[in-house]
Amino acid sequence: MITVSRDTKFVHLAWQRDEKLLEKFRNQMGSDPTGRLCRLFGVLDEDSGLALRGTFIINPQGTIMNSEVNFYNLGRNIEEILRKVIANRHLAANPVEACPAQWKKVGDITLKPSAKMVGKVSEAVKK
Amino acid sequence: MEEHVCGLRVGQGVPDIKLETFDPTKGDFSEVSLADLKKAGKWTVLFFYPADFTFV
Repeated sequence: MITVSRDTKFVHLAWQRDEKLLEKFRNQMGSDPTGRLCRLFGVLDEDSGLALRGTFIINPQGTIMNSEVNFYNLGRNIEEILRKVIANRHLAANPVEACPAQWKKVGDITLKPSAKMVGKVSEAVKK
Repeated sequence: MEEHVCGLRVGQGVPDIKLETFDPTKGDFSEVSLADLKKAGKWTVLFFYPADFTFV
């Protein structure tokens, strides 16, 4: 995971050293001072010049598999981001499967969409 | 004035981005490149937030 804001790397350093909650933080903290990357991903709030809380999962081929953008006042659930990454990796390895809404971890029921399942999703997710 | 910003969407490819970073594991400045992450076969999460010294 790479975190990105428009702060410089110097401010990232100061924040990581200062904030107790970031003591064990181990992710690269990316700096986008021009806002170019924020704009590319459509998360730059042109009114404030700040990035909205956007999360993008990118596969090893460089394709965006998931995107989610929250406004300033809603934080993100790291467990949910992890769940999505794990689901995406599982689906990349098992392309005929689909993870239903309740899917939490590898081993949970997945679906194999087919003509047989039409109108029978309720039965399929209970197997 | 209402501005409409177009962004990349799900299913689209990301250009080979390079970013200056602070790397807490080394306590030093570094750089990440999406091209390198691709070569290493890695999944990447880009996590944008408004500003340092705020909640995430």
